[in-house]
Amino acid sequence: MKQPAGIPTFFKNLVEEPLNALVEKAQDAGQRSIGYTCSYVPRPLLDVEGIFGVRLRAPGVSGTPMSDTYLSNVICSVTRSIMELALEGAFSSLGGWVFASSCDHMRRLYDNLDYLEPLDFVHILDVPHKRGEAATAWMKEELEMLAEKLAEHFGVDTGKEALARSIKEHNRLLAILRDLDKLRRLDAPPLSGAQYQMLMVAATSSPRDAIIGPLENLYKELASSTDGIDDYRARLLLAGSNCDDPGYIRVIESTGGLVVGDRTCTGSIPALQPVSEEGGDPLLALARHSLDNISCPRMMEEFDARAREILEAVKLTRADGVVLETMKFCDTWGVEASPFVSVLREQGIPVLRLEREYAMSSEGQLQTRVQAFLESMGR
Amino acid sequence: MSIFDIKRIKPTVADLKTDLASHGRLVSSLAKLPLRHGPLFLLEKARRYPWLRTLMAANMLLEMSVRTRTGAYREASGFGVSHVAAGIGELVDNLFAKPETTVIHEDLVPPEILYGMGLNPWMAELLGIIAPLIRSEFAETYIDAAESEGTPPDICSLPKCTMGIALKGEMPKPKAILTSNMPCDGGMSSYSVLERELKVPTFRLDIPYNFYGERAVRFFAGELKRAIAWLEEHTPGRMDWDRMRQVCELRNKAQEYQMEVWDLVAKKPAPMAGEALYLGHMMYSVAMPGRERGVEYWREMLSRTKKIAAAGGALPDERYRCALWNPPTLIYPELFVWAEQKYGVALLMDMISYNRHPYIDTKSPDTMLEGLARVVMEGPMARHTRGPSENFFSDLFALCERFSMDMIWMAGHIGCKNTMALNGMFREKCRERGIPLLIINYDLSDTRVVSPAEIRKQAEAFMETVMKATPL
Repeated sequence: MKQPAGIPTFFKNLVEEPLNALVEKAQDAGQRSIGYTCSYVPRPLLDVEGIFGVRLRAPGVSGTPMSDTYLSNVICSVTRSIMELALEGAFSSLGGWVFASSCDHMRRLYDNLDYLEPLDFVHILDVPHKRGEAATAWMKEELEMLAEKLAEHFGVDTGKEALARSIKEHNRLLAILRDLDKLRRLDAPPLSGAQYQMLMVAATSSPRDAIIGPLENLYKELASSTDGIDDYRARLLLAGSNCDDPGYIRVIESTGGLVVGDRTCTGSIPALQPVSEEGGDPLLALARHSLDNISCPRMMEEFDARAREILEAVKLTRADGVVLETMKFCDTWGVEASPFVSVLREQGIPVLRLEREYAMSSEGQLQTRVQAFLESMGR
Repeated sequence: MSIFDIKRIKPTVADLKTDLASHGRLVSSLAKLPLRHGPLFLLEKARRYPWLRTLMAANMLLEMSVRTRTGAYREASGFGVSHVAAGIGELVDNLFAKPETTVIHEDLVPPEILYGMGLNPWMAELLGIIAPLIRSEFAETYIDAAESEGTPPDICSLPKCTMGIALKGEMPKPKAILTSNMPCDGGMSSYSVLERELKVPTFRLDIPYNFYGERAVRFFAGELKRAIAWLEEHTPGRMDWDRMRQVCELRNKAQEYQMEVWDLVAKKPAPMAGEALYLGHMMYSVAMPGRERGVEYWREMLSRTKKIAAAGGALPDERYRCALWNPPTLIYPELFVWAEQKYGVALLMDMISYNRHPYIDTKSPDTMLEGLARVVMEGPMARHTRGPSENFFSDLFALCERFSMDMIWMAGHIGCKNTMALNGMFREKCRERGIPLLIINYDLSDTRVVSPAEIRKQAEAFMETVMKATPL
């Protein structure tokens, strides 16, 4: 299956380094960068004038010997890989960290980084495991505390008007990412799943204000492109854990299965919904957006909603099958994946369950599994 | 010498008398089951629920605990183990007798509210905790069942055992489930499997990450109110605040006695150690708190501990005092006796038992809920595995000081990712304080990962190379 040539290398370069050239440029211009580790951290709060958020990744990590000493080797490799690069000094130019108490692994990453590589600004958000009025109120208070702390430490404006402006810009970014995602629903999409993932990663790991323009320009080109992918064997929905490596999807697609949607915390579903700009309470809007739109199995009471969301995504993307990828050692996905497989099979949807490590390895094995899956679907 | 490398002590006449009392307590409690339900009913249950057959062999735990000690310490250990076994008998009895009011609760959600509502609690993880103490391999068939349904091998074996019991159809169906986000992600997630398998309504309590402070208490007391309203909707239970007050007062009373026991245990040589301490806490502060039985247990234990203190201490030769951090080694309960006999090590305290539960103010429903909110949030293990790492270390080092510990044995359960991810910091912090640390590599419930003999080897190597100890 071909990968269209319409994506400039500009974006490819942005995803190859833990902190890319746009981040360095913004830092050189005097902006302070704040690393965050999880989708539950609302980025508009970090993207006010004078500071910007960068989602932490570990591209190019080849092993985790130092972090294994502290985190052990039974912890999810996302956290171990980020910590490894942190211990190598890859994030030393950041002005701070913001973590979320999203899962055991992320919490212990916070503990260990705070112990080993403390930055001047460190904060962890206490994110509820449920939705509802009380949980939203709690989350809003959490965001209030973070906003106050950011304002005090960095001397930035995190007041209502500044946040409303940030949310507006953030929605602009989400809108362009949604538009790009919609192109994948065409019969012959002008971009592959791996390419779309590259854009998503570039968007979260670059200063927001520097990435919106290039993405809007790219959309215009792709929307009018006639170079679509029409030689795929099947349309696939990717679901599961954090997947910020476009290379992983590229391997899946090398077998002829086109990834047309990604229901992961780093993918397009469901986190690209806009943040409400109504009501005059930006922190409340951000609290609601975090709790309602990040569909991670760390949220209790939501199994049925998550299953429904995957089924709806299958319909929306016209996927022929689902690849359920879970990060090894992730407890919440680990336990929940099997019931998900049952739910999908009950609905007659073919599903392939894969367990993976953060750093790409065993490409051949992955290709063989996906090829066999496509063949089992008669494709 | 048994396969567990522990010696049976030749009993004195007085020992034999106290053994009779302990065995009598155990037998009479087990005999209640066929008397109440009839022998056929019990046979049918034992066929349907094979774990019941393991529980019926609780005398093995008693034998291990009693025959390896002598004098007042033997008597107290016998009392403790047999009393706890009788308590389990009562829970099982109620489980079969009152299915319409039975509510399964997660192990770190103490069931006072259920008692206050006239409901019958059953702690889902109880079997996975107690049965391996009686038969080390107990959990393995259930772990395999969970894994064959797709649960990854790296998930903690305790929730895997609990899931396996449900997946094999051996978990009696309750009216409802009350669970939470404790103690870890694996434990929290396991309840989606229980909910689906048992097909009963489930309420989940959300414990904040930062649970110290009034804001968290207010939030969580609200969660408890929501849980009560939900239980009233989904079960026959109705909150009776007078009954709830009694439950809280009984918990407070038992707690008071328990605190006195800990004060005595802090003295050198320790007047009590071993199973009676951790089993008593697990049973009467976690599985069935707020009952008259718990008050009786700790009152008796206090009196026996005082007696041993007057006689000069529990161990004939206490050479070292040790904190066993993390829950006790379920697949190898003999570790306590072995350590006592081999090196004179008194294993005094563990993560589950280190009790800082606040007393509950019973003035009004609101104060009771706020007190219970603190009890749940600050409960054993909950406060170590859910919050920031300071909680884990500050508690441990505080208890090391309070109990004059010479060393720490970390029961490094491989499935406990929360604590595994702290081992690097743990080593460095112990080194800074000059506290010798042994991290025992093993699995809480699965002897196939590391056998009891291997656990012993690790402890021996540590004692002889780091502590320079010679066997007694």
